[in-house]
Amino acid sequence: MMNPGLTPVFEPSIPQRNRRAAFWRLLFRLSTVVGIVFLFLLLVNIVNQSFGYVAMETRVDPATLAVNGVPLEELEKEDLIDVLQANVSAGKFRQLEREQPLAERSRDEIYALVWEDVVQPDIASTWLLTDSLFRQGAVRAEAAEKYPQAHLVFRSWLNASILQKPQSSEPLNAGVRTAILGSLWTIGITIFVAFPLGVGAAIYLEEYAVDNWVNRLLQTNINNLAGVPSIIYGMLGLAIFVRLLEPITSGAAFSLSDPTTANGRTILSAGLTLALLVLPLIIINAQEAIRAVPNSLRQASYGLGATRWQTIWHHVLPSAIPGILTGAILAISRAIGETAPLVVVGAATYITFDPSGPFSKFTTLPIQIYQWTARPQAEFRNLAAAAILVLLILLLSLNAFAIVLRNRYSKK
Amino acid sequence: MIANTPDPSAIQAQSLSVYYGDFRALKEVNLSIPQKKVTAIIGPSGCGKSTALRSFNRMNELVPTAHITGEILFMGQNIYASDVDPVEVRRRVGMVFQKPNPFPKSIYENVAWGARLNGFRGGVGHPSMDEWVEQCLHKAALWDEVKDKLHQSGLSLSGGQQQRLCIARAIAVKPEIILMDEPASALDPIATLKIEELMRELAEEYTIIVVTHNMQQAARVSDYTAFFTMDEDRAGILVEYGATNQIFTNPKDSRTEGYITGRYG
Amino acid sequence: MNPHSPREYFDRAQQKLLQRVLILGSMVEEAMREAMQALQQRDFTAARRIYVADQEINEQRYAIEMECITLIATQQPMARDARLLAAMLEIITELERIGDYAKGICKINLLMSEAPVDSTVMFNLKQMSEHGLGMLHRALGAFVSQDIAAARAIPLEDDAVDMLYNQVYRVLLAAMMAVPGSVDRSNHLIWAAHNLERMADRVINICERIVYVYTGEMKELDGSDGLQIEDNHG
Repeated sequence: MMNPGLTPVFEPSIPQRNRRAAFWRLLFRLSTVVGIVFLFLLLVNIVNQSFGYVAMETRVDPATLAVNGVPLEELEKEDLIDVLQANVSAGKFRQLEREQPLAERSRDEIYALVWEDVVQPDIASTWLLTDSLFRQGAVRAEAAEKYPQAHLVFRSWLNASILQKPQSSEPLNAGVRTAILGSLWTIGITIFVAFPLGVGAAIYLEEYAVDNWVNRLLQTNINNLAGVPSIIYGMLGLAIFVRLLEPITSGAAFSLSDPTTANGRTILSAGLTLALLVLPLIIINAQEAIRAVPNSLRQASYGLGATRWQTIWHHVLPSAIPGILTGAILAISRAIGETAPLVVVGAATYITFDPSGPFSKFTTLPIQIYQWTARPQAEFRNLAAAAILVLLILLLSLNAFAIVLRNRYSKK
Repeated sequence: MIANTPDPSAIQAQSLSVYYGDFRALKEVNLSIPQKKVTAIIGPSGCGKSTALRSFNRMNELVPTAHITGEILFMGQNIYASDVDPVEVRRRVGMVFQKPNPFPKSIYENVAWGARLNGFRGGVGHPSMDEWVEQCLHKAALWDEVKDKLHQSGLSLSGGQQQRLCIARAIAVKPEIILMDEPASALDPIATLKIEELMRELAEEYTIIVVTHNMQQAARVSDYTAFFTMDEDRAGILVEYGATNQIFTNPKDSRTEGYITGRYG
Repeated sequence: MNPHSPREYFDRAQQKLLQRVLILGSMVEEAMREAMQALQQRDFTAARRIYVADQEINEQRYAIEMECITLIATQQPMARDARLLAAMLEIITELERIGDYAKGICKINLLMSEAPVDSTVMFNLKQMSEHGLGMLHRALGAFVSQDIAAARAIPLEDDAVDMLYNQVYRVLLAAMMAVPGSVDRSNHLIWAAHNLERMADRVINICERIVYVYTGEMKELDGSDGLQIEDNHG
């Protein structure tokens, strides 16, 4: 029973409580630091492989190609053609001439041909950026010892040519242009399909759907779909888009099919598969955004005699658009890095020509990276690292674009 | 009890009951609201006063489980009849809410939007949109404060100004009745008095029904006061309705007396 | 009242105020009783003391008035609370006025020559005062006990006081006509009688307020008007 005469005793033990608080604060700080350290290590690792010394061997020493004492790189176009003619087989020369008369080509093109077909550089070995910077002497000694004929040059694997060149089995000639275009096409289709579908579904679920078991089931399924492994979506895409809808996804139904492919393993299938994959993500985020629009805004609108659609269009969507775009950003990020479902859907691992439309064969950046890392030659790992940087930059710029878009809307 | 006032009626509830699902929130209310007067609805929390207010412009229907029995007669017509569109009801019976809720648009757009929505047409002999916006802001006693920043966001205003903007927005669609759901409960005392003063002025042109749990406010602004309370089954009932000076000096019902003297009868 | 009232502080403040009104009432009763006694015994010392003591009554009245206004300003009384505080303001004014009548009677006492008052007149005046004081006492009792029936009944007794007043008036008028030298003295005694008659009227006003507080109806409760003479002899 309560005894009102008793006085309570307090033992504040404030230092002890503060110590405990400090412990937890330290723990949280530590976990943040650990996360950042890992991210940093990842980035360092990638950058480390993207730049560094390479030992470049050439079949023909460019110094021997000097004409009348003028080094190769300073030669005029005509002299370069002579050098080319002197050093390649007659058949090869005729073939080049057939592709495009050499006289019509620019000096730089000829120079590139000389390098490719005459000098024929090859990479004997590569070093990491850290070694190249901090153990320069050792690197030089090692190179001089193991590859006496090789030049030691500092190479940035991330360069303009990697962006311009298609896939190649020669590391020096390999690039990611095809993959970037494939990625952009795929993402474009994904967003084009998933964004309106997802936002539409979110509007229905939030603004129209009444609370009954059908809609609850729908909602639960959407939430669960967001957690389904992406490979499952790949299987789904394979079954539906590649096989079942082949006439459509191959473009055959529109007589637009790519002559190089006669099946549904196209950009369209990939884009649709990724659209399925990110749809729950977009729906859930858009739902959150729509739910976050204060009800008072809707009531104000209804109170003035607005219909449901007018309320949604004029007030709910404009207020929700920043949140919806945030969802879209997440979806893009997810889709652009996705590999597994595309492998299942049938992305080509080795492809040298650019996609020309939604019905083309394709590859994407992550697939190309995956493929490169699986190659035995060390140089491809450097290429893969550079491609990862390209992927990161692409991802960040797409995100930046969406963020700019979002900020513009939320300012209004 | 049919509660009546000597003034001509603007809107009339007849054996109005409101249900949320199985729960009856309001029971058999008969209430005749006089034209161009301020009528206050007071009562303890959960007595259904907001429910009653919202049934006057069918805002209750935004709650999916809500339904009503009885009638609400507005200009002789039952607003719950099947051929009446709630959109039209809400145009003619406007509403101001507890928390100021201007649209995240410019001050001008806040006022103009509802008018445009309802097919506002300027023209010879009629105000243009600019003139109408100015007129509404004048009536809401806000014009002088905002005339130089009509294109700034409505959210940049102070709370009291925002609420007056909401009033301007409400009158911009030319309603006959304005419902106010605790319009000053989120405001400081001076802003509150400004709103109350405004209600007095607006009553010259509009019928105003205000829900408040500030009894002094009801006493200050209203011509008539309706006191609601909860029945044993937690349903809201109308206990007493009459001239405000009578309700606050000499209420007839002991429950009213208990409530307004702060002793809960 | 409800012990768990959310307005316990206000209730207590009102109760305290009611107590102070009652104290003021008994101060006034006391003053009137002593004033009559001093008149009967022609006790100038007592009369002077009572005359001066009226100041205390006035001060008490102003203090109660301030408290009432404070409660009105801070507690926002509604309905019966509002009526109670407004009635208190009215009642203390009436009580203070009755106090002034007692003071007036002491003044008359001091102005008249030392000879005793004619016994018939004194008897009638004494009766008037006792009647009036009884009405006042019961009215204050009705105020505390919320006895509306009593508050309605008390004013009916005013007729008896009016009758006594008319009687005293006629006797003193006759005396003035018979003995011209007695005009001054008789006139003073008519004033005293008049004060006593007005006291009963004030009690009626108090009863009207009591009925208003507890029922909300504001109505004159005068039985008959009796003789209407404007007073300002306080």
